[in-house]
Amino acid sequence: MALPSACLPYGHQSEAARPTATSALAAPSMDPFAAVEAKARSSVDDAAVNQAPPVLVRHATVMTATGRTFAPGFVLMSGGTIVAVGDGDGPATLPANTVVVDGRGKFVTPGIIDPHSHIGVYPVPETLAHDDGNEMTDPTTAGVRAEHSFWPEDPAIERAVAGGVTTIAVLPGSGNLIGGRGIVMHLTPQRGARAMRFPGAPEILKMACGENPKRVYKEQKRAPTTRMGNLRIVREAFVKAQKYAREQDDWSRRQQTAASPGKKDDKAGADPPKPPDRDLALETLALVMRGDILVEWHCYQADDMIAALQVADEFGFQVRAFHHALEAYKVRDLLSRRRVAIATWDDWWGFKMEAYDGIPENLALATEAGVRAALHSDSPIAIQFLNQAAGKALAAGRAAGIKVDEEDALRWLTANPAWVLGIDGLVGTLEVGKHADVVVWSDDPLSIYSRAELVYVDGRAAFDRAHVGAPWSDFELGVRGMPPKGGKK
Amino acid sequence: MKALGLVILAAGMASRGIALAEDAPEVIAITHARVYVPGGHPPLDDATVVLAKGKVLAVGAGLAAPPGSTLVIDAHGKTVTPGLIDANTAVGAVDVELEAPTNDANVRGLMTPALRMVDGYNPRSTLIPIARTGGVTSVVVAPRSGVLGGQAAFVDLAGDTLAEAIVRPSLAQYAHVDEETAEASAGTRSGLWLLLREALEDARFYATHKAQYDANGTRPLSLHRSGLEALLPVLRGEQPLVVTAHRASDIEAALRLAGELKLRLILQGASEAWMVADEIARRKVPVVMDPLQDLPTHFDRLHSRSDNAALLERAGVAVVIATFSAHQCRLLWQHAGNAVRLGMDHDAAIRAITEAPAAAFGLQGYGVIEPGAVADVVVWSGDPLQTSSRVEHVFIRGHEHSLETRQTLLLERYRTLPVPRDGSR
Repeated sequence: MALPSACLPYGHQSEAARPTATSALAAPSMDPFAAVEAKARSSVDDAAVNQAPPVLVRHATVMTATGRTFAPGFVLMSGGTIVAVGDGDGPATLPANTVVVDGRGKFVTPGIIDPHSHIGVYPVPETLAHDDGNEMTDPTTAGVRAEHSFWPEDPAIERAVAGGVTTIAVLPGSGNLIGGRGIVMHLTPQRGARAMRFPGAPEILKMACGENPKRVYKEQKRAPTTRMGNLRIVREAFVKAQKYAREQDDWSRRQQTAASPGKKDDKAGADPPKPPDRDLALETLALVMRGDILVEWHCYQADDMIAALQVADEFGFQVRAFHHALEAYKVRDLLSRRRVAIATWDDWWGFKMEAYDGIPENLALATEAGVRAALHSDSPIAIQFLNQAAGKALAAGRAAGIKVDEEDALRWLTANPAWVLGIDGLVGTLEVGKHADVVVWSDDPLSIYSRAELVYVDGRAAFDRAHVGAPWSDFELGVRGMPPKGGKK
Repeated sequence: MKALGLVILAAGMASRGIALAEDAPEVIAITHARVYVPGGHPPLDDATVVLAKGKVLAVGAGLAAPPGSTLVIDAHGKTVTPGLIDANTAVGAVDVELEAPTNDANVRGLMTPALRMVDGYNPRSTLIPIARTGGVTSVVVAPRSGVLGGQAAFVDLAGDTLAEAIVRPSLAQYAHVDEETAEASAGTRSGLWLLLREALEDARFYATHKAQYDANGTRPLSLHRSGLEALLPVLRGEQPLVVTAHRASDIEAALRLAGELKLRLILQGASEAWMVADEIARRKVPVVMDPLQDLPTHFDRLHSRSDNAALLERAGVAVVIATFSAHQCRLLWQHAGNAVRLGMDHDAAIRAITEAPAAAFGLQGYGVIEPGAVADVVVWSGDPLQTSSRVEHVFIRGHEHSLETRQTLLLERYRTLPVPRDGSR
């Protein structure tokens, strides 16, 4: 499923030079349409090779999210990757064009990763024309992709970067039980979604359960209108996908047989085996069952999470993460044992029944139990200060005597959401060879007063608070009173 | 001032220290704290606050706890603020936003000036103890919609009965002249203004023609009698009219209307207020806003920017920060803290959640720590606006409230797994 290197979006010289995306993906796909798929993935927005000058940030408190903090320390970025990080001032000799940033009094972290966003698919302003987040014409729409709804001019994108966010997962909404594929994106100003796609990120599928799908379809006077209806529809979708996957397997076997030299003469003149008709939805679910697509399942209540895990067991797939997961604390032992991560808020609660038992200690309790826990925003406002959410969740945990620390809080923002999205081998910590997604903060990033001053995506300053240029979004051009204009794109 | 050790004492006590009456039931002294005091003074360090009979008895730097104090809290290293006032929330009016029967904040109908939020207020709501954990001690429970949406209540987050909770049942009237309300009502902005002006003019007519109205001797009026009556205190300038407007031109229109009819205007929302900040300041109109609203969510908010609060403050506008949330009323401190991150003065941000809302709505004795003020006082472990700080004590009208909530009970129940389900704990 690797991208041809000629088609790599934004700033990547070579896929081969990088570590693999994740350790968790299963065997290669048996998808007969892999070639079609690869073609569909080729970039229509090919970006230039990363020619940004090397950047050295030094004399700062460098928090790597690997368990080590260098104070003072440095991080050196070049060619889009981190090439050195550690104690002291950094390498004595540097390329002449290196940009040196004095980080005295400042803090450096990996870029924040938001594993649950609807930026671009529910953009601002909220117009009917851009209401593209939920394909609410059928409760299962596994064949759709958030990428195809994404509006790259959403003004929320640049504001998220100003909050220290460098990578987001854009997901379809939760109106459908199977909402469709999400897309993991690097936040840079581009003309289309494809060029923002995080290279090497696995495919992800948004699923939902509980209140939203049954509310949506009850209003439409059709199924599902109950939780048992939810489960029936999800299970039937996977039953169909099982049949489809078997047909793919049969075809694959027949094709191999036809190609094998021993049998060739016997079958001479016979038509090549015909593959099953392509079905975008079933293809997606078949890939889920093969472990090639990560399941990101919107699920608030403990009992709904248990029901979802039963479905996963029935069809033999792994749930990568429960999103929202406000009652994860009630089943944290189960989630820990089954290696299911959570992506959640710090303290949201009560806006709907399935959020009624949310508590501010949820993240800390899950972390203490060994669950890989990530913060998410699900909001173009909250995405701008996810770092504060980590500070608050840490304070809540500590006040309750739960064993969590600053390192955990940092990982809620970086390394853990990277794992949720299957890109932990590429990003989420400050380590040599990883993407140079780096934030320089004015203050301790867990402080309410902390501002992201410099935000690097692949070693390029995507945001520089001291030199805010023209808005990224074409939509915001000509809006009076915005900061002074500069260049972009 | 700070260096001299500012001491403010109740009249007659200054010369002989604090003498307590024999029958004083309860006297609480919070000592050695950093205390936020009104009047533009910097906070006092190593200061003492004395509460008695539901009021602040004294506050001053270096003051000893009065002998016979029933409770002395050594607040060394801690901070004391007035109880926070959320100037727009639906606490007590909503249990679950998406469950309509539990939601008494979203009324059907767009012209309901006689509606009183107090009539739906529930002082036993589970949201109230949760709001208190954020140091919020009193709130404005406000209508959320409507061209003229009705009257907000001002309540203390204390007391088990309505009588104990309600401070001002009809605090202010609420109008909305934003994009959503225009669309939901007449379909256009000018149509919305027609409805609004007609209602106010009919109420003004009614005020001087009550006898004819009762004798069916007037032309038809656009409101029922209850609505006309409800607008009279607004027209007399006794009750503020809170107008939600975002676009700068809508704000200008609201200022013009208030000038013409001599209304006591408070602006709300006001995403583009920074563009007309000088005019708002000149007219001394307070602005109730959320510093986190920096997105162009609607076309009437295209000029939203993250430093709106800071720019208004710098222009001399009375900035009031509110959450506009029921369940997250407890995060009022975070909204204020973000105003500071985005350029507002720190102590001004504290005022924006204490003194400023009280002043904007004319709530004497609220939002300040000074002798005679209502004893709504919060002890914080550190800077009230910082993520790492916790609320340690909440006093409302001089009584300390437990910080136990439904959420702390859930935490306790699930602190260790598995939870026995046989009732043994």
